[in-house]
Amino acid sequence: MRERVAMAYQYRLEKVGKVFGRRQIALARIDFVVQRGEKVALIGPSGAGKTSLFRILNCTLRPSSGKLWINGDEIESLHGRRLREVRRKIGTIYQQHNLVPRLKVIHNVLSGRLGRWSAFRSLASLMRPLEVELAWSALKQVGIEEKIFTRTDELSGGQQQRVAIARVLVQDPEVILADEPVSSVDPSLAASIVNLLIDIGRDTHKTLLMNLHSVDLALAYFPRVIGIKNGVALFDLSPDKIDDRLLEDLYSGHLPPSDQEKVAHAESNALAYP
Amino acid sequence: MRSPTLSRIPKSEKSLFSYLFALLFAVAFVDGWRRAEVNPLVFFDAENRGNLWKFISGMFPPDLSSDFLSLMIRPALETIQISVMGTIIAIAIGFPLGILGTRTFSIGGILNEADIQGSPLRRTWRFSAYFAARGLLSLFRSIPEFVWAFMFVRAVGLGPFSGVLAIAVAYGGMLGKVYSEIFEAANERPLEALQSTGASKLQVFIYGWFPQVLPNFVSYTLYRWECAVRASAVLGLVGAGGLGQQIEISMRMFNFHEVLTLLGILFVMVAAVDYISAKVRAML
Ligand SMILES: Nc1ncnc2c1ncn2[C@@H]1O[C@H](COP(=O)(O)OP(=O)(O)OP(=O)(O)O)[C@@H](O)[C@H]1O
Ligand SMILES: [Mg+2]
Repeated sequence: MRERVAMAYQYRLEKVGKVFGRRQIALARIDFVVQRGEKVALIGPSGAGKTSLFRILNCTLRPSSGKLWINGDEIESLHGRRLREVRRKIGTIYQQHNLVPRLKVIHNVLSGRLGRWSAFRSLASLMRPLEVELAWSALKQVGIEEKIFTRTDELSGGQQQRVAIARVLVQDPEVILADEPVSSVDPSLAASIVNLLIDIGRDTHKTLLMNLHSVDLALAYFPRVIGIKNGVALFDLSPDKIDDRLLEDLYSGHLPPSDQEKVAHAESNALAYP
Repeated sequence: MRSPTLSRIPKSEKSLFSYLFALLFAVAFVDGWRRAEVNPLVFFDAENRGNLWKFISGMFPPDLSSDFLSLMIRPALETIQISVMGTIIAIAIGFPLGILGTRTFSIGGILNEADIQGSPLRRTWRFSAYFAARGLLSLFRSIPEFVWAFMFVRAVGLGPFSGVLAIAVAYGGMLGKVYSEIFEAANERPLEALQSTGASKLQVFIYGWFPQVLPNFVSYTLYRWECAVRASAVLGLVGAGGLGQQIEISMRMFNFHEVLTLLGILFVMVAAVDYISAKVRAML
């Protein structure tokens, strides 16, 4: 009986912490449970640990402390082929897009299929793209299908971001982790992309976790919002229970984004492909 | 976690290492000058000057008779063929070993963290592959191609095949070492993203690693091919075929005017290879 309950969890985190090097604490202690099919937004100041959390949730980093279950599997026991199978079912949209700049858009999109393809098929597809229609329809959903054969480093930041989203659509995972998926597009496009991801999540019963710097988007579109600060979850509530005081707490002690920081942010985005 | 004061800017640590390194360099230079018997004055010594002059004036005029030139076509082609075959086999040796010898591919970095942690067997296996590859590459390139040629001439006999093998092994070691440095320099972020789709290491390599480093990879390989053309000429001196063997014969016969012709042919060949590789690089 307990097993069956555990299986309904998509994620279960128990005191998860992550320390980089000796003393750079990215996550102090995170506990939460995400049910399958749930839609959760994560908000919090820059450097709070949101990206680090996502990299743990997609099995790139291992927690330095605590335990994490994905779909009932304790991740410490996952290696090799089983690890890859778990990863295949988790699609990540990275904050800095993380595309291969020299490849054409279509190959970056189709790289979402790698978990299903053999090494030989993958190589063959680089010579002559397989499943072109799949890539085309994914790009159409994000509105840049005409760029399908363009080299990826010739795209604008917002276009690259949408290629990264198309890659996840093609991957067709059970979980989508979207780390700032709308940071490089204009506000109206941002809302429609958040909408798109939520729709896709609903229609195909995917679990969706999204990091957002825009509190408005988070509160407007998500039934559950987790506030992260200094590596701990400050609150974990439905949006109607989140008031200005909570938000002030979440972002206080943190300098309001000065011009200097905006410049730094722009630079860090530009540095995605040094 | 972080102090919000802006006034305390963390200092980047200045290490003693850079000073030590400068000192070490100075000592090595002075010591090297003495031990290697560096002495620019030899060129002013009358007897040395005479010998040099005899050698140089003996080279002129170069032997441009059609007889001699037509005889040299075959060795010249042979030199090119040795360098091409040698480089191709060197790539076949250096490429896989270079991949395994890349730290971020085999044992470290973001692509291995989750897979290795908590699995001593995997860790041992990866480390052994990494160090085996590195060790082989060091062995291959620490022995000069000249010495390899010497050994292969004993093993498989006089002729171009010894030259091919010598270049293959020595250059395989050099290519592999530099390939691993080139791979190491690839941006890991796209690789992380590829891996997170469930791709295997090999697939990550095909889609993310190789495309990123392709220009460097090609241009270094072409550069090595240029070197191989020159090297295959030298290897002829120990009997491994090609132009070098002709140079050696002419030298032994004191036919210095033939030597000059041969050097001229070599110059033209290297320049041609240089031209071709510049064209290929421009295409990338
Ligand atoms: N690879 C790393 N090595 C060392 N420190 C790291 C590393 N990655 C992240 N950190 C540190 O961990 C902390 C949390 O970083 P993280 O990227 O998770 O923040 P974030 O919440 O995603 O911030 P943002 O909203 O700006 O994207 C930061 O202080 C950062 O400097
Ligand atoms: Mg982040």
